[in-house]
Amino acid sequence: MTDFRQIENNLKKEAKRLLEAGEVAVVLAYGRGYDEKHPMPFAAKTIADVESLVFNEYCNFNMASYLMRYPWGTKIAIAAKAADSRAIIQLVQEEKVRREDLVILGIPAYGMKNQKTNEVVDSKTTGGLYNPVIYDILLGEEIHGQKIVSPYEVLAEYEAMDKEERWAFWKSQMDKCIRCYACRKACPMCYCDPCFIDQNKPRWADKAPQSPGNMMYHLTRFHHLAGRCIDCGECSRACPVDIPLYLFHKKVAKECEEMFGQAAGMKLEDKPVLVDFRVEDSDKILE
Amino acid sequence: MLKKISISKISELAAALMDKGLLLAPVKEISGHNFVEIKDPKQVDLDFHNTIASPKAAFFPHKEDFIKYETGKPIDTASVVALNLPPTFLFGARPCDVKSFGIMDIHFIASGIVDPFWKQRREAAVIFGYAFDLEKPAQPEEFYQTLGIGAADPEGSDIFMVKKGGDLLLNSVTPKGEKILTELKILNEGKAADKKYYDEYIKKGKEYKTRSMCLEPGAITKKLEDLFQNTDFWNRVSSACISCGVCTFVCPTCYCFDICDDTLFGHGTRRRVWDACMFTDFTLEASGHNPRTHVYQRLRQKINHKYSYHVRKYGVISCVGCGRCTKYCPVNIDIYSIIEDAMKA
Repeated sequence: MTDFRQIENNLKKEAKRLLEAGEVAVVLAYGRGYDEKHPMPFAAKTIADVESLVFNEYCNFNMASYLMRYPWGTKIAIAAKAADSRAIIQLVQEEKVRREDLVILGIPAYGMKNQKTNEVVDSKTTGGLYNPVIYDILLGEEIHGQKIVSPYEVLAEYEAMDKEERWAFWKSQMDKCIRCYACRKACPMCYCDPCFIDQNKPRWADKAPQSPGNMMYHLTRFHHLAGRCIDCGECSRACPVDIPLYLFHKKVAKECEEMFGQAAGMKLEDKPVLVDFRVEDSDKILE
Repeated sequence: MLKKISISKISELAAALMDKGLLLAPVKEISGHNFVEIKDPKQVDLDFHNTIASPKAAFFPHKEDFIKYETGKPIDTASVVALNLPPTFLFGARPCDVKSFGIMDIHFIASGIVDPFWKQRREAAVIFGYAFDLEKPAQPEEFYQTLGIGAADPEGSDIFMVKKGGDLLLNSVTPKGEKILTELKILNEGKAADKKYYDEYIKKGKEYKTRSMCLEPGAITKKLEDLFQNTDFWNRVSSACISCGVCTFVCPTCYCFDICDDTLFGHGTRRRVWDACMFTDFTLEASGHNPRTHVYQRLRQKINHKYSYHVRKYGVISCVGCGRCTKYCPVNIDIYSIIEDAMKA
């Protein structure tokens, strides 16, 4: 694997070139935060901004979430690790962004860490991939020979639980929720405006952080992401009370993949499974 | 009055306090410590730096029920929720957080419109402040020194606690605290050496290093007023912001709330729930107009409220430098860096 320092240099070099040539108006990548361990999502718009770009093991942010802030036609360069590239594909499929507006700066990486716990988060975030699925320019060498971990491996413990245990597990997790909506805001696929939870006619759930409302919010969000979640793990990373939301998303993604033979955000020409109908689609849901 | 107890006996002290009323103390949860209503005295855990959520929820709960009613029934059948609070012991609050209660008192009591719920909860509470461990370095996000708050300031607490090796020293700060200390038979008398240690610890706390800059309330207020129209500045500092509510929910001095009705099978509750100025719909008006549609406007509001409007209106900065907003921000926005940038701009 190309080391992160080298990737950072390549990122700066490409960002500078693209901005200088006027090929893009903005480079969405990672910038300096208040210390090494806390980089920030950063939009470089000038040559001077390029010096602030960084890349290290704490750059977990999925920059695809920021794509929809720019109108169609804005030329954007975007730094994309494996999961982020899947988010881009999914957003193109959903016609939220246009492929021709983007210059994708692919970053092959593993060993990304959680800034709070220093734990390696690959099993929760790479979706089993280390190389971006799609890119225009690669900022490091492609990774080969690194052990491929199935994205669903972390589900083993969860799947061992029976129905009652799972309900009890989610109930205790949802009780912790403070309804700050960081999960929804960090999610590149949560772009509804307004989100169902903010509607008050009808009001779908109670606003207070308590059991039925919390459950309603999370279960609905889980289902709205069925076949669309690209497994970047941003929801769980953003959560201030560490609810393992990725478990549910992974479980749903796994079932979708088994039923429809397609994982979210893998091919530009695919259609999201739940908006596409094929005669050979699984009827398992009717059984 | 100085008393002491071995830290190994902390659960016995907890049990003694539970006999007298409600105990709120730090408990280790999966993701970190939080103030929780104690059911089992063994839960109390003083081995923490600071809690995830600030202890403001002790007086300003995330949800507070005001009125209960039945739908379709006459209005006079609705009833106001009575609090009937037992004595409440808030055990182990850090000095910066204790300081926040005084700031919140301005809004809920001193501004003239008294919030009965906040006031009753404040009056029912005995605050056991707890000095930071001066042996250990401050967390990178903390900056209470900037706001003139020491790591061992007893002001605002009724009883202030300091760790001395394996012992916990408890000193009364107010008559209310002194009364409780007298009643707690489980405590031992503090010796002259303990008193000396305690006094020195408080003094040393003033020198405890967190991130620090010279911040004069008048100067930052003026600076932020001048910067208000500088959209480039606000766009730059807010470009990463995703408009979630983490920073305001963990903040000890954020007090915005929403009043909403919740009905289930004909049983209705009118309650207040925390709200956050970072939410897109926070300023959404019934007409559909929203005066703060951009991210930069919302972050500007938050910073200005704490460091500018609040100073103009009440004379003090509404921030205690606990650093929670920075620590839990999913995109690492740092309020300290923004203030630093503003001062330089």
